[in-house]
Parts: sequence; C-alpha cells; structure tokens
Amino acid sequence: MSYLLSIRDRAEGNIEVHKYYSGTVVLTAFLALLFQAFLHRYGRWAELLDLPLLVTIYFGVSKRNPVSGLFLGALIGILQDALSHDSPIGLYGIAKTLVGYLSSSVGGKIDTEHPVSRFGLVFLLFHFHQFALAITERVLLNQPERFFTPRLLLDSLVTAAFGMFLFALLDRLRRPS
Amino acid sequence: MINVFSRNRPLALLASVIVAQILLLAFQVKRDRDVRLIRVWAVAIMSPVERSGTWGFSSIGGVWHGYIDLRNARKENQQLRDELGRLQLRNRELESQADEAQRLKVLLNFRDTHTEAQMLAAQVIGASADPTSHTLFINRGSRDRLRNNMAVVTPDGIVGKLVEVFPNTAQVLLINDKESGVGALFAESRTHGVLKGSGDPMPLMDYVVNDEKFKPGDSILTSGDDRIFPKGLLIGKVTDTKQALPFQIIHVQPAARLDRLEDVLILLSQQQLEPKGSADKLIPPPQPEPFTPLASAAASSKSSVSAAGPTSASLPKPAASSAVKPAAPTSAPRKPAEKPQAARPGAPR
Repeated sequence: MSYLLSIRDRAEGNIEVHKYYSGTVVLTAFLALLFQAFLHRYGRWAELLDLPLLVTIYFGVSKRNPVSGLFLGALIGILQDALSHDSPIGLYGIAKTLVGYLSSSVGGKIDTEHPVSRFGLVFLLFHFHQFALAITERVLLNQPERFFTPRLLLDSLVTAAFGMFLFALLDRLRRPS
Repeated sequence: MINVFSRNRPLALLASVIVAQILLLAFQVKRDRDVRLIRVWAVAIMSPVERSGTWGFSSIGGVWHGYIDLRNARKENQQLRDELGRLQLRNRELESQADEAQRLKVLLNFRDTHTEAQMLAAQVIGASADPTSHTLFINRGSRDRLRNNMAVVTPDGIVGKLVEVFPNTAQVLLINDKESGVGALFAESRTHGVLKGSGDPMPLMDYVVNDEKFKPGDSILTSGDDRIFPKGLLIGKVTDTKQALPFQIIHVQPAARLDRLEDVLILLSQQQLEPKGSADKLIPPPQPEPFTPLASAAASSKSSVSAAGPTSASLPKPAASSAVKPAAPTSAPRKPAEKPQAARPGAPR
C-alpha cells in the first residue's frame, strides 16, 4: 500500500494527475457494467459499444498510475466475465488488465485531453483489447477468435466516437485541483 | 535483485495479475475428454519431472543392485545352479517314467484286447555280452510259469523265443540271431518259408524259390509251422530281394524294434490271436487268398510239411521236405493251419 502511495506521489510530482470524488471510479465502473448488461436486452446495436472498456481507458489515462490502472482493468474485466454466462472468469479480465496498464502508461506521454487524441487512443486500445482477447481465446480456450473483422472496425469506430462524449461527461466528475 | 524488482514493480504486478487470471481461466476451461486445463498443464509440467525422477531412481537402483549390492550373488548363483541340476535330473526321471508309462499302456491295451490268449508282461533287464549273439534277459522266470520255447512279442511284432529259463529270469533268443528260425509266410501270396537270423540286424527269409516275385514292403507273418509262434503274427517287411541259388535272398526288416526293447509280452500258450481292427499292428487282418490251380495240391501237401523244432536247424525246409515238386511249396499258397498248434502233442507250453 505504501508502495502504491509512493508511486502516486511520484506521479503527481511529475505529471498532471486528475482526482475524483470518492466513490466516483467504483460507481462509474458499476454503472458501465450495469448499462452494458442492460442495453444488451434491447438489441444487437448495443454490442457496438463497450462501456466497461471506455471506463477502463478513461480512468487509466486520467489517473496515470499503471498499478491502479491494471487493477481497475482486472476488476472491471472480471466483473464483466462474471455477468456474462458463457465466458469463463478471466477472459475479459486479462484483456482489460492489459488495457488498463497500457492506457495509464501512455496517459502521461501523450495529450489525452483533446477529443481527436482520445478518439485515436480509444480506437487503438479497442483493437489492442480485441487482440488480447483473441490471443487468450485461441491459446487457452482453443477457439478460433478473429483478430480483425469489418464488424470489429465498426465497433471500434462507434466506441471511439461514443468515448469522446463519455470522456467529456466524465471530465465533469473531476475534483477541482 | 530486490532493486530490479522494485524498479519494475508495475510490470511485475501486471505479470502477477495476468498469471493469476490465466490460472483462474485454466481452472474453469475444460479441454478434450473433459479434463480441466489446469490439470493438463500440471501433468505436462510434472510428467517430464516425474519421468526424469523415475529414470534417475531406477538407474541408481539398477547400478546399486546390478553392480554394488552383489554380496550374495555368487552364493545365490551356486544355489540356483544346484537347483537347476536337481530339476534337470528330476525332469529326466519324469520323462523316463512317462515313456515307461506309455509303453506299459500300449502293452496293457494289447493284452486287454487279446483276452483269448494268456500273456505275461516282462521287462528287459539285460543283453548278451557276446556281440554276435542277439539275446536278451527278462525279469521273469520259471516262478512265473515260463518255459522254454515260449513266444516273445511286442504289439509291433514278434521278438523271439525263450531259450533258457531260470527261476527269476529268462533268456530270449531274438529272431535276428543266427541260431533263430521262425516259420513264416508272405501275407499276400501265402508263400511259406523260414525266417532265419543272420547275425545282422536284419534276418533273412529263406527257402523261397526264385520264381516267386516280391517287392519291398511286403509283409511277412508267422506261419505257425514252428509250433512256437501262433499263426498270423507280424514279423516284418521285405526290404530287398536278390536272386541266388538255390533260393532267393530276401532281407526282412523286423517290425519290432529289436535294438530298443524295454518291455515285452510272453505268450503262455500258442493260442492263435485274432485280429482286432486296423490299429492292431501285430495281427494284420487276413489277406484274401489268391486262386491258383496248385492251391489244392499245396493244401494236400500241408501235412507233409512238419515243423518240429524251435531253431532253424530243426525247422523243416519247405522245398526240400515237401511231398510235391521242389518248386511247389513256396510257390503254392497254403491254407491256414486247421488245428490249433497248442493242441498238437509235444507242443511247448
């Protein structure tokens, strides 16, 4: 725990770290999972969006702490696995752990406040997430999951576009410094 | 090491979390044959280690037991050799007993088959010391009611006759001894002659004129003329014939294995034995008599062919003593003896 705090202090000393009201991260992640499960009941168009992935990317980029990013990704991914009845626990967890770690690692190196850079970041991390997911399924589950399809491209574009609006909305939850 | 780990702590944590989730997945996922992935991995990881361990322990054990721990090997080896020797000896004994049982079984079957004649089984206990003399000693004697000139046979063929009887043993003169003579006839043509020993393993069929033609394999039976052997017992088979003067030289292979005799039967009477089917080697079924114009003449001359003595010297010479022309006795088939030989006066008992 002390280690986490020291990393956090060091990060705060070098780069800008956004802070949120207490419970914001947990509540947002919970709502994202809830909406993702809820929207699935109203048609396949809901599959275009990956709200848990957007939340993972957003808080990873904002907090810019790889450790907290990977744990947040692992938590959200495992919960997403738990809510789906057919995927084993850990499938999304591994992918989102990597996304959380990667997003928090690159958050301090690029401009993540501009909408276009956010669009590009979400688009790339979406495909990285899909790549990790496909690798896991191929290696562990022995299932021929595809790395890229036109449908995935559409999903990534929709998710990235929606992410620009969602990120702007979540920016309002920041605690003023 | 600690510093390296501290510098890369985020990466180490990432790896830990990923590995933990992979293990979590492996616990849930099932592969072929419904085996959990974690079990597949565990077996894949542990099997080489276990194989190596097993190989190592077996190698060490092999070296230990094969090269080091040999304290009692010499003693044990000697014990095993002794045991092997004992078992080989025992095995030979059992084989010998089995052979003897088989021979006795054949004798017993033969005796049971021919209940019309009295027989006594005997074992060969010795042979003559003279290499030119073909005689045997058996373990029966006068106390077993044996007398001189009794026939000795095996289920395969005739063997000889008793020439000396002692209280507990008796001497057998084999049919291939040069002093031996047996009244004989050819099974097919019924031509009579005398089987004489030559001192060689194969006796000769004598007093057969050159006009008679025989081929190797022709069977020769006892004729009963010698009043020792009942009529119709198998003597042997012709091996080769040669024209000579005044009679043919016909070599005969005895049916009984005269050089390997161990158990024999002594016929206590000259009661004629009856054939008991094709399995009976000693008494072949009677051949149909060929019709010849001289058959009646031969029959009429039968009474003039006497057979009074047990040896070849005392046996009648059919051609010489025949009342008919010299060539007639051997060329003309004879009828079987009409009266049992045992009923004749002076017949050996």
